Amino acid sequence: MKTNKWPMVPGPAAPEVYQQLGQITRQLHDTLQQLGVMPKLQQSAQDLPDARSRLSYIAHKSGEAADRVLTAVEQAKHEHQAIRTASKQLAQRCGADPARLLPAPEVLAFVAAVEGAATHIDQQLTDIMLAQDFHDLTGQVVAKVVALVIELEDSLLQLLRKAAATEPAPALGPLSGPVIAAVAGAEVVNDQVKVDALLASLGF
Amino acid sequence: MSDPTPLKFLVVDDFSTMRRIVRGLLKEMGCHNVTEAEDGAAALELLKVQHFDFVVSDINMPNMSGFELLKAIKAEETLRHLPVLMVTAEARKEDIVLAAQSGAAGYIVKPFSKATLEEKVQRILQKMAVAA
Repeated sequence: MKTNKWPMVPGPAAPEVYQQLGQITRQLHDTLQQLGVMPKLQQSAQDLPDARSRLSYIAHKSGEAADRVLTAVEQAKHEHQAIRTASKQLAQRCGADPARLLPAPEVLAFVAAVEGAATHIDQQLTDIMLAQDFHDLTGQVVAKVVALVIELEDSLLQLLRKAAATEPAPALGPLSGPVIAAVAGAEVVNDQVKVDALLASLGF
Repeated sequence: MSDPTPLKFLVVDDFSTMRRIVRGLLKEMGCHNVTEAEDGAAALELLKVQHFDFVVSDINMPNMSGFELLKAIKAEETLRHLPVLMVTAEARKEDIVLAAQSGAAGYIVKPFSKATLEEKVQRILQKMAVAA
């Protein structure tokens, strides 16, 4: 028996194949409708922008937190360096005059203790600074997930447009968690000043 | 690193947090002359108009990646000598090989320690001193 070594090149499909594909698609559509899947898909597609917005909110807030920590560390390091320099200068002045050194051994001991603690604190400040790299690392992951959500959203919307769902989507409440973006028609109160003002207007 | 003529560093990263961390670590190492750029394209613009001695660059950035920046630096006659230390969260083998083949002076994977950055920078500077 002779075997064909070459891969088969697909030829144009017969009209019956397209007709059968159309029937299968129709059946799939009807089944999805009967199972109530389309309204759920519709709801999922509506929820995706909210999920995307929440992920962006996480990235934004963690970035803000990292920036605040870095600013605090930079200021602390600056002031800390001033203390180290001052304690070194004090030790040098005490050592330069042995007559004055005699009554102040506690001062020298204190300066030595400050110097030791200062070195330790500086290392800890550096560790705090380095720990802020979480923002970069998690931020890259969040960016990839946001891109994935956008793709999923597009695919779902295309599917829904093609399916043209007739059943109304079940009315679900918004997802729980902090409010992160104003949606059409909704007023967002997202900082303490606005919250206090709102409470005051209500008589609290 | 307390030379009479301080070295000028260019730190390239799209995350401001990481730029600040690298700047802070370089400062602790005695390198106070540090400029920041938020992507490869911005870095290349700076390199055209300012003199730098050392580039520390991320890889995954918008507009122009670290690899594209590295290739652009190595393709430019006046910048070819500039050492580029790649700092990235991507630890894929092919990326490390590509960085080495493209002329990177070193490669650091995030998260990294102060000791790692210091050791890489010192080693690259020593190599440059020997070559000069």
